[in-house]
Amino acid sequence: MDILTTNNLSVSYGNRKVLKDLSMNIMENKITAIIGPSGCGKSTLLTTLNLMIEENGGNFTGKIFFKDKDILSYEKDEIRRRIGMVFQKPTPFPFSIYKNLTYAPKYYGIKDRLKLNSIVEDTLRKVGLFDEINHDINTKATKLSGGQQQRLCIGRALTVEPEVLLLDEPCSQLDFKNTANIEDMLLKLSRDYTIVIVTHNLSQAKRISDYTAFILDGELIEYGETEEIFTNPKDNRTKEYIEGIYG
Amino acid sequence: MKNIGEKIFKFIMKFLTLFSMLLLAFIVIFIFKESIVFFKEVPILKFISGKTWNPLGSPDDLSILPIILGTAYVSFVGIIIALPIGVGSAVVLSSYTGDKMKRFIRGIVDVLAGIPSVVYGFIGLLVLVKFFEVKFSFSSGESVLAGGIILSIMMLPYIISTCDESMEKVYKEYAQYSNALGVSKSYMIRKIVIPESRRSILASIVLALGRGMGETMAVMMVIGNAPIMPKLLKKCQTIPSLIALEMGMAEVGSLHYHSLFAAGFILMLILFIINIFLYFIKKRMDI
Amino acid sequence: MSEKIKDSLFKIWIILSTLLMFTVVIYIFGYIFKNGIASINMEFIFGDPKGIPIGSEGGIFPAIIGSLFLMIIACIFASILAISTAVYTVFYCRFKKIESIIHLIVQCMAGTPSIILGLFGYTLLVLYLGLGRSLLSAGLTLGIMIFPYIEVRVEKTLREIDKSIVESSYVLGISKAYTIFKLILPICKKDIISAITLAGGFAMGAAAPIILTGAVIFAPIPKSLSSPVMALPFHLYILTGEGISLEKAYGTALVLIMILLIINIISVVLNMRGREHS
Repeated sequence: MDILTTNNLSVSYGNRKVLKDLSMNIMENKITAIIGPSGCGKSTLLTTLNLMIEENGGNFTGKIFFKDKDILSYEKDEIRRRIGMVFQKPTPFPFSIYKNLTYAPKYYGIKDRLKLNSIVEDTLRKVGLFDEINHDINTKATKLSGGQQQRLCIGRALTVEPEVLLLDEPCSQLDFKNTANIEDMLLKLSRDYTIVIVTHNLSQAKRISDYTAFILDGELIEYGETEEIFTNPKDNRTKEYIEGIYG
Repeated sequence: MKNIGEKIFKFIMKFLTLFSMLLLAFIVIFIFKESIVFFKEVPILKFISGKTWNPLGSPDDLSILPIILGTAYVSFVGIIIALPIGVGSAVVLSSYTGDKMKRFIRGIVDVLAGIPSVVYGFIGLLVLVKFFEVKFSFSSGESVLAGGIILSIMMLPYIISTCDESMEKVYKEYAQYSNALGVSKSYMIRKIVIPESRRSILASIVLALGRGMGETMAVMMVIGNAPIMPKLLKKCQTIPSLIALEMGMAEVGSLHYHSLFAAGFILMLILFIINIFLYFIKKRMDI
Repeated sequence: MSEKIKDSLFKIWIILSTLLMFTVVIYIFGYIFKNGIASINMEFIFGDPKGIPIGSEGGIFPAIIGSLFLMIIACIFASILAISTAVYTVFYCRFKKIESIIHLIVQCMAGTPSIILGLFGYTLLVLYLGLGRSLLSAGLTLGIMIFPYIEVRVEKTLREIDKSIVESSYVLGISKAYTIFKLILPICKKDIISAITLAGGFAMGAAAPIILTGAVIFAPIPKSLSSPVMALPFHLYILTGEGISLEKAYGTALVLIMILLIINIISVVLNMRGREHS
């Protein structure tokens, strides 16, 4: 089952075309990795999928379908709620952990203290922070370590009960141990969520993703099961990239 | 629901912004409206070129050339005194101090800027004016010079903070290269930092000029307020002090009342020109 | 002249300038402190002005309270307008042109002399709208005066917020208004309060705008917005200008400066704390 489909998607900033005629299906409850050299348009693809692209001054042509309906037929806010996003740099709000996690639920009308508490607890468990922070949910989020901050941000994205989670190189600023932590967590989350992760770390893509897309200069070169892409790439450019030619 | 809230919020923000912007228009319109009554009686050119100010006499005796000149004169004296001191202090602040010292001096400059103008006037009257009268046995210490000196102290913070900002930038940019050439620090400041900061020095002069010409209390308390052609050691009058002193006495709706608005209108015109000029200097500084 | 001599002259110049500036500051404070401290006592601070002419004896309590009231009204009025304008300019304004026009207007307002604002307040508020010489007229006029100062500083603070933090709110599907209220303003809270306090001190020290719009030689503590008020800077001006009492004038100047110094310190402390967190 595919949950997100793009059809001849092209994205440009002013006159500069960043993505060209991209068509792909993203499968529900799977992890899809998007790989490619820096500047190839990977991140742009993510920001297009949750319609943030317009906020950043870009625009797209072609079609995107979310659950078989044109993405533009939804309210923009609804799309962003149902398709969550986490950035490369951890962006905790300079409030307490508790406030970080109740910020969005309160917006969506949950006022009940007990309900909010259970959201906070569930979320912290999901991202594996519950034991680490010793139940001290009033600690300032900015005081956490980088890896913890990033997990909190992923948790924050989960508090609005999205169906898809877009992650833009979430581990690029983290060390090996924190990266492993987050990878574990993503594998667990993929039972309930569809995950799209942009990464420049090929072994990461190989370890956690079910599908992999290779993008080069704004074009989708190859897309298929991760296993297939890494062991038996059809396109020569994919092969070269995987072997480390583009770096 | 949420969309409606969002729209209402945006509308309120837009409305309040518009309201704030319209305040300036209101100020201009109201001052203009009250002055136009006067300009119908006395042509504007005559108003700014005539040399007598006598609100009790005929309308022909209402003109403000000496007062305009007085306003300008006091400010120029202020700038001439404040500029070297201000630029000198800005050089020290930008290039010769460590972080702690910098914060301290900036604090002092802020304190100077925070002293109310009426306190400056108070000290000017009790110290400066008295000093002139006692030491130099002037018939009256109240003078253009006294006003200029008081203004110069009030201008210092503007000059120092405007110059300091860009001097620090220039200094940091060139310090390494210049050190590598083995020239002395003061040579480098003289040859690079000050010339490169000329635009912000100009901006600070214009800013200080605007502040000075618009200053009311401090100047009013030390210049003697006589509407005669200004001379350095004699009394004079400025537009702001003219308004502050005579508005309370002028009967609402009288020609005198309207003439004071007319004087305010002229002052505002002068200052708008100065400020637009300043805006463009600043804009070009950023590039 | 050799470069060496020029260098020395240059150094003498800048050192003298800095010393002169320091001397002036120390002198002003020393002078007021030395002369004013003698008149400070409980009766002076908490008493009403008395004597003939009024003010030659007694205290300045109504002026202290009047000044605080004026400051509060000015701050409320100015900060509502200034924060809205800053929020609009930073988060809603889509055109660079409009943004520059707003900046130009704000700068022109900052450059408008306070006496002109007084004239404006006098004709519009006092006469036209019939508010009379009152706490409200004077407070609003002072508000117009400090509006540009608050706007410039708030706008700067808003622009300094990390963009990605704001975006992480948008990607949760959360509206701009909620983001501004629950995320951005709380983050900037301390800086904004610091800006408002500083501007409030500025309003409190200003005499020119209130001469025509509400300050009077003697009034009890204002009972309503339409009562005329006493204010410290105006009181100081009257005491000196009319030659009523030099001793009381020194005391008034000292009280005014001390209150402003306290306000200044509060603002600086808030500002430093604000920096730490962001």
